[in-house]
Amino acid sequence: MSVTAKVNQPLAEVATDAAAVEQLYRELDALFASELAAARDGEELKKLRDRWLGRKQGLLTFSNDHWLKSAPRPLKPAVGKLQNQLKTRIEQALEEQAGRAVQTARSEPGLDLTLPGPERPIGARHPVRIVQEEVESIFRSMGYSVSSGPEIESDYYNFEALNFPSDHPARDAMDTIFITDRMLLRTHTSPNQIRIMESTPPPLRYIVPGKVYRNDAPDASHSPMFHQVEGFAVDEKISFCDLKGTIDYFLKSLFGAAIRTRFRPSFFPFTEPSAEVDISCIFCGGEGCRVCKQSGWIELLGCGMIDPAVFRYVNYDPERYSGFAFGVGIDRLAMLKYGINDIQLLFQGDVRFLRQFR
Amino acid sequence: MKILLSWLREYVDIPEPPGQLAQALTMAGLTVEGLSEEHGETVIEFDITANRPDALNHLGVAREVATVFGREVRRPEVRFTEDPWPAASNASIEITAPDLCARYTGRVAINVNVTASPDWMRRRLEACGVRSINNVADITNYVLLEAGHPTHAFDLDTLEGAKIIVRRAGPGESLTTLDGVERVLRPEQLVIADARRPVALAGIMGGAATEISRQTRNVLIESAWFEPSSIRRTARQFGMHTEASHRFERGADIEAAPWANDRIAAYLEQLASATILSGLIDAYPARRARAAIGLRRSAVRRHLGVEIPAAEVERILAALGFRIQGEPEGWQVTPPTARLDIEREIDLIEEIARVYGHDKFPPRLPEWGGHAEEAENGVPERRLRETARALGYDEAVTYGFIAAGEAERFGSWPAVAVRNPLSELYSVMRNSAVPGLLHAVEWNSNRGQHDVRLCEVGRLYRAVKEGFAEPPVMALAATGRVRPACWNDPGKLYDFWEIKSDVLTLLRLFDGRLGLEPETEAGYYRPGHAAHITAGGRAVARCGELDPALQAERKLRHPVFLAEVWLDVLYGLPLRQPKFQALPRVPAVDRDFSLLLPEGTRFEQIVETIGERPYLVRLEPMEIFRGGPVPAGKYSLLLRAVWQRDDTTLTDEEVNEYARRLVETLEQKLGAEQRR
Repeated sequence: MSVTAKVNQPLAEVATDAAAVEQLYRELDALFASELAAARDGEELKKLRDRWLGRKQGLLTFSNDHWLKSAPRPLKPAVGKLQNQLKTRIEQALEEQAGRAVQTARSEPGLDLTLPGPERPIGARHPVRIVQEEVESIFRSMGYSVSSGPEIESDYYNFEALNFPSDHPARDAMDTIFITDRMLLRTHTSPNQIRIMESTPPPLRYIVPGKVYRNDAPDASHSPMFHQVEGFAVDEKISFCDLKGTIDYFLKSLFGAAIRTRFRPSFFPFTEPSAEVDISCIFCGGEGCRVCKQSGWIELLGCGMIDPAVFRYVNYDPERYSGFAFGVGIDRLAMLKYGINDIQLLFQGDVRFLRQFR
Repeated sequence: MKILLSWLREYVDIPEPPGQLAQALTMAGLTVEGLSEEHGETVIEFDITANRPDALNHLGVAREVATVFGREVRRPEVRFTEDPWPAASNASIEITAPDLCARYTGRVAINVNVTASPDWMRRRLEACGVRSINNVADITNYVLLEAGHPTHAFDLDTLEGAKIIVRRAGPGESLTTLDGVERVLRPEQLVIADARRPVALAGIMGGAATEISRQTRNVLIESAWFEPSSIRRTARQFGMHTEASHRFERGADIEAAPWANDRIAAYLEQLASATILSGLIDAYPARRARAAIGLRRSAVRRHLGVEIPAAEVERILAALGFRIQGEPEGWQVTPPTARLDIEREIDLIEEIARVYGHDKFPPRLPEWGGHAEEAENGVPERRLRETARALGYDEAVTYGFIAAGEAERFGSWPAVAVRNPLSELYSVMRNSAVPGLLHAVEWNSNRGQHDVRLCEVGRLYRAVKEGFAEPPVMALAATGRVRPACWNDPGKLYDFWEIKSDVLTLLRLFDGRLGLEPETEAGYYRPGHAAHITAGGRAVARCGELDPALQAERKLRHPVFLAEVWLDVLYGLPLRQPKFQALPRVPAVDRDFSLLLPEGTRFEQIVETIGERPYLVRLEPMEIFRGGPVPAGKYSLLLRAVWQRDDTTLTDEEVNEYARRLVETLEQKLGAEQRR
């Protein structure tokens, strides 16, 4: 009968005198010693501890319950002493072994730290979204609300109410994609100026980011769909100086305080005076390079004071209110900011491109 | 538009180097696009805005130069000898459409020697990009470049009845224009006709039959003023764009018509040894006078934000050729006839601002006492996009239009057609976000990228009773490995459970009871491998595996998993607000059951059959397998049940009893067997 079977027997069945008891404990001790020697790692040590010291099923619990508790009075002190000695020894041995395991873990040769770990992919924000969110946050900090508006728009909102008469050459600049005679894909985000002013009395401050469409064949600098953000403010004392200050603040927030802005007179049917805004070239600092075509300036956005004719379409009193508006291509801002040389990259979904923005 | 510096200098002094001139004009609103040296000439290329037809010529630019630098313009003197014989005896002019032609002047030149132009004129024309034809045609073009007024020379002897009638086209009429194209005319189009037939497309292009040739002896010069919108409409209808139409549709100077005609007459005398008959034939039914515009000092200040000295205002306006009269509050200003863009006070203010200099206005930020609002659904949209990124999806943006065939295959409603699409590929507005993402997956696959996860938040487009709706949508596409392969991990391929889990993670950002059924409508999913998800009973999403036939068609290496989330429905639900729950003080107890279940038993059935039970907090499928020791018609499920009591630890006896009852229910209701 093996000692593991014996521990489940009452003491009287396996030993009758002190020598036999001592022999039993020696067998247990020997078994433990061999099992301890075989234990290779922390996991096996834990199993060994459970097998020997487990509260309900441990071998020493059995020897305690079956041998010590049933020992006749004369043998009891000896059994108790042996039981305790063995328990102490096993506990110490396990403790030492655990210590040795820690020692081994600490002394093993280290890893090749230069191997890569498994990559956990996180998605990238689209560069257009990054810039759009940045623009939104700059203007939100100046008290502008954000609105959107439909992409399938009427001729009225896209052109007429913005003071583009039909049969006017100003419409040529925006090659239009039509849905029906009177409905089209908005060519700019400006129609929402009208929609917002129609439903909101002044004063107001809004920006309108969104998709716009032009009938331009795709190439490195054209896309039939792209993104704009429109911004406008209407109040009682808004002047051209406020427009200049706002645009200057916006562009410096976006491109850094070191850039300079330049306002050039221009023409848009829905603003007057109108201006194109250039920034000093962010690549050469204004010295002249390939990107700015040696001019030192990069053309960035169109803006102006809202034309009083527009106010008449929305029943604002042009004698009391004035305002400014601007529109800028988000894609263009993103391309400048990140040095992207082909607008098509924005819309292909090529992960080699998108993952650069993680 | 090209301007020659040497030519410009005939009308105004320019001591500045070309670069400085270009800079000054650009900053005054005449944008210089480029400076170049061609054949010894300095050529300035301008991009003139649509409101400034007056600046589309050398004299117009000279006026701007003079204004900017504070100098004088030298207008050329026009001198020629008139033969006593009256022009009106050799030709007549009649306007029967005065609404479309406000003025038509004619001069008659006889004994014209049609030959080549002198070298100096040819050189200038060619440097400006105009091809030299013969001296008569060249003179009209030269005067156009000089002063901006388009004119036309007819071979007078080819005009039936020596008559010019400015009228609308008649039914069935046609005209072969100088470019050799025969054009069928529409009744509302304005033509120049002789006694019999149309001979020119008014303001756009002359006719071939009355063209000046080497045989031409007598010439009628037209210098007229046409209604801009009529010219633009006709030019567009024919897809034509000429130097003349470009100017007339922007607005020509009605008072420049006689001057241009005289200027041409002078050149014809000088360069074609022509005799000019006496008198300008001037059909001018109703004189168009410019009204004075009131300009208030207060308005200048209000719009521009600074006080511009009165003397400076007056200097600017006078230099631009405006007549000014002082008033207590400001001025009465009469613009020159060339400046059709100046009609209102604000137009004058713009002129002052651009000449004064935009750079002189100090930047300021406006005061604001209002509040700022987020975009509608901006917050939930941001949460969705953030979460998709955290799940490993790269954000894509694809076109709003797709091909009609794709719309039919992937859309749930008839797509809105584009009337003038760029190509067949973009012929309708998308009614599904799937084609765009599939294109992107295919694009990546063709470039060796087989592990792709993309998401897009955008709009779909749909015709509705009141017009068009643009419901927002979110779409996901995933293919290849969940995580990139690594030396210690071969990587697991995306499967249905991954996409389902991604979609539920997104949907659970919102508060709503989710339901899931097999997707049966969308035919582009693999049958039996797609789910239709509802929130509060409304369809909110679907997800699943792309039909393997479509995968094969696109030659994609791995199965593709798609999800579509109808954001208009989802945004109807509130975003879930986190609410704290006290943490359990005692550990949970679990038991695993190895069960044999009849094939076809769905996990949801097991959960529902077990139902709510005391302290049972969770049921989890731990392992599923078929075959081997598992008999046919059955499958093996390792089910874990977890119990937890807040107040006290459950005893073994209690849990054993719960477990026994749980298994008993499954045996009785679902025919389960517990394997031992």
